[in-house]
Amino acid sequence: MTETATDPLSRDRSSPPVAAPRPAFRGLRRLVSWDGPMPWLAPLIALLIVFTIYPLFYNIWLSFHEYAPFKRRLEYVGFQNWATLWEDARFWGSLSVTFTYFVVVLAIEVVLGMMIALLLDSDEPGFGVLRALLTLTLVIPPAITGMMFLLIQDPEFGVLTYVLEGIGVLDGQSPILATSSTALLGVMLADVWQWTPFMVLIFLAGLRSLPQEPYEAAMLDGASALQTFQRITLPLMSKVIAVAVLIRGIDVFRMFDYVFVMTSGGPGTSTYVLSLYAWQQTFSFIKWGYGATLSLVSLAIILVIANLFIKLAKVRW
Amino acid sequence: MATVEYRNISKSFGSVEIMRDLSLSIAEGEFAVLLGASGCGKTTLLRMTAGLETISGGELLIGGALMNEVHPRDRNIAMVFQNYALYPTMKVFDNIAFSLEIKKLPKEEIRRRVEEAAAMLNLSDYLHRYPRELSGGQRQRVAMGRAMVRDAQVFLFDEPLSNLDAKLRAHMRFEIRQLHNQVGATTIYVTHDQIEAMTMADKIVLMKGGEIEQVGAPDELYDRPVSRFAADFIGSPTMNFIEGEVVANGAAPAFAAAGIKLDLPEALSAQPGQKVTCGVRPADLVLSGSGDIEGELVLAEKTGADLNLHLTVGGADFVATAPRGVEVKPGTAVRLAIAQEKMHLFDAETGRRL
Repeated sequence: MTETATDPLSRDRSSPPVAAPRPAFRGLRRLVSWDGPMPWLAPLIALLIVFTIYPLFYNIWLSFHEYAPFKRRLEYVGFQNWATLWEDARFWGSLSVTFTYFVVVLAIEVVLGMMIALLLDSDEPGFGVLRALLTLTLVIPPAITGMMFLLIQDPEFGVLTYVLEGIGVLDGQSPILATSSTALLGVMLADVWQWTPFMVLIFLAGLRSLPQEPYEAAMLDGASALQTFQRITLPLMSKVIAVAVLIRGIDVFRMFDYVFVMTSGGPGTSTYVLSLYAWQQTFSFIKWGYGATLSLVSLAIILVIANLFIKLAKVRW
Repeated sequence: MATVEYRNISKSFGSVEIMRDLSLSIAEGEFAVLLGASGCGKTTLLRMTAGLETISGGELLIGGALMNEVHPRDRNIAMVFQNYALYPTMKVFDNIAFSLEIKKLPKEEIRRRVEEAAAMLNLSDYLHRYPRELSGGQRQRVAMGRAMVRDAQVFLFDEPLSNLDAKLRAHMRFEIRQLHNQVGATTIYVTHDQIEAMTMADKIVLMKGGEIEQVGAPDELYDRPVSRFAADFIGSPTMNFIEGEVVANGAAPAFAAAGIKLDLPEALSAQPGQKVTCGVRPADLVLSGSGDIEGELVLAEKTGADLNLHLTVGGADFVATAPRGVEVKPGTAVRLAIAQEKMHLFDAETGRRL
């Protein structure tokens, strides 16, 4: 049975073999040999190169050029795109809208998600069905959700408009999505409706895996429900919350569908987010170089935020 | 400090009744140990006392007040859990201080009490560590500290030593009992370890299948077990049992089994012909050339202080404790003597003491 020892498929996966220390070149040779891991990793690595690594470097290369593919004009411009960015008021405006959207949407989704998760964290009959129903909003394409909320907030026949006018919040003169002070809120509504359940599901998974003993101990220590939540649940959930915010945060930061469908960035620039601006520069104005620069900035900001949250998730206990 | 009284307590999980009509009272300041094999209901009884488990029937009184419907947080009970149940996100100081902070005690008072408890438990150097940075024994002491700083009416311990190694367990046994002697609080302690029960308890409550088998001081359970079960549970090495019957031996009755005949006290309420089990503790057997019990040595086990002699007596396995230095070769025949008052006789059918 010596053959089985070299066959990677027949390896006992429950107990991975301990790697014996060996010279580096032998490890490298094994890596690229047929019975090493490389043949199994190669397809994935190929996909990564074609769809992630090559576009990234192409983007970086593009950001130093002025490129209009239909005019077949390619020109090296050095740091000009980056200099333009610095003085571009529309870029800074879109960045500010993006950050506002990012902070408000995440805050609402985390708080609301946690509240709903706490309500649904029960073994009573019926709660399993409720939890399953939560996944429904997640399967709807965001563009469709955008259309839905466009209709709901329509100034003529939208249900939400009707209700808000009925209770006197709206005066009938300023439609939600066509008023610069409320348009972003209107877009946020779609995001919150669609993605809060995602937060709920992650938080529920977290809540359900918490140890029960500290809760019993807290009860005997005399803690009230609120004190228990503040001092026990929230700290225990901090990692889960950080991960959820990280996943959603990346998504929220590059949100495109809702504004594209609902407001196209308007009225004025009140819902003009960074991803929409990058898209417009690239595909409407055919400025591929500047579009690439904008998307790289977006990537850099996401990386910084992601790292921040990964640090937050690394708590000492 | 308070008394704890259970009146006809019963407990069911769904349609399964695991405890019926259990009555027991624990005096103020008493150290009571609930002892029994796993599944006997001892932990359930403890959790019902704390309010972590509902009571299906009967009444629970603490300090004379009915507690059945009182929320755990209002019972003023401190509990040490089997797996410690420390707050993982809090440092040791905050773990111990938590209940005091909930009560909104002054900061200085909290600090003083926590430091006092920490000093008592040798935890002073660990107050700024997280539970996961502590060893099992240290965690166990934090759990104790958390209970100690409370002015609780009753202290509950749920097998607190079962996750510790033997040496630490022996040490903590001493510490807990010492602490009880100092504080004097009513304590209910759950364990399946009869040595813990024997060494720590003022009163042992031996449980079996959701019912109380015997209640009494450790010596009482050791010297006069009410049943074969109680006799078997208490004592290490465990009691030897020989099946036999009562025969008439002149005026007095006698116990007869394969190759053995032992005189019984005259006052014994057993009829000749009755099937009985005779129980003898290994420590009560004495090697003696004129002994009534004859056996063959299988193995002499050294425990350090003395020897455990494993024998076969009339086909049954037997253990006798002998002082160190006794030299017997496996395969040799030995004779053992037993004092009449050290014999325990149980009805073979009911298992009750005769």
